[in-house]
Amino acid sequence: MQESCEAVVMLTGDLHARPAASLAIAAAGFEASIAFLVGDRRADAKSVLSVMAIGATSGQQVRILAEGPDAPQAVEALRDLLAQATQVGA
Amino acid sequence: MNATVGIVLVSHSAALARGTADLAAQMGAGRVRVVAAGGTDDGGLGTSIDKVRQALGEADGGVGVLVLPDLGSAVLTVRALLALDEPLPAPLEVADAPFVEGAVAAAVTAAAGRDLMSVLTAAQEAWHARKL
Repeated sequence: MQESCEAVVMLTGDLHARPAASLAIAAAGFEASIAFLVGDRRADAKSVLSVMAIGATSGQQVRILAEGPDAPQAVEALRDLLAQATQVGA
Repeated sequence: MNATVGIVLVSHSAALARGTADLAAQMGAGRVRVVAAGGTDDGGLGTSIDKVRQALGEADGGVGVLVLPDLGSAVLTVRALLALDEPLPAPLEVADAPFVEGAVAAAVTAAAGRDLMSVLTAAQEAWHARKL
């Protein structure tokens, strides 16, 4: 069954390399296709290079869009990770 | 923890291989063997069949090894080793990819538990990843 799901997270810090890697590793564990949208930029959540290139900074909103059988679980997991990963000092 | 695909970075410079391996290993959340094979046997700039052979052994976790050369001529060293018909880790693939981006993309994909062909694809897709 195809399901689509989305969430929005406000970043409390810039999205640097290590958190981008954690996000991509987590995203790769889901069957759903997952994208991060920041302004008019779109990243494939499973590609660490794509996530880093989106250049998301503190105060920006990131939309998480997932499509696939495990889309709700994917959005929930990545929303939590994105909120944690960009906390100052992460 | 399940075994992950190992990665061997073949560079003309020992420092470049080691630094890139450190970065990729950390991006791979410490779950991936990323092994540097840089420089010649006497520590100069160049590549070494013996270093590549040893690195392949260290990177092998039983589910495949990806070899990433830094520049075209490092490919010659890797090919020379493969042509010796010695027992080497299997499966083994050589990636045609940018060195730093390819190493990081490969390590992250390996850390997610993906197979060798997925890790190879992630490294080679680095050609299309813009950083600006």
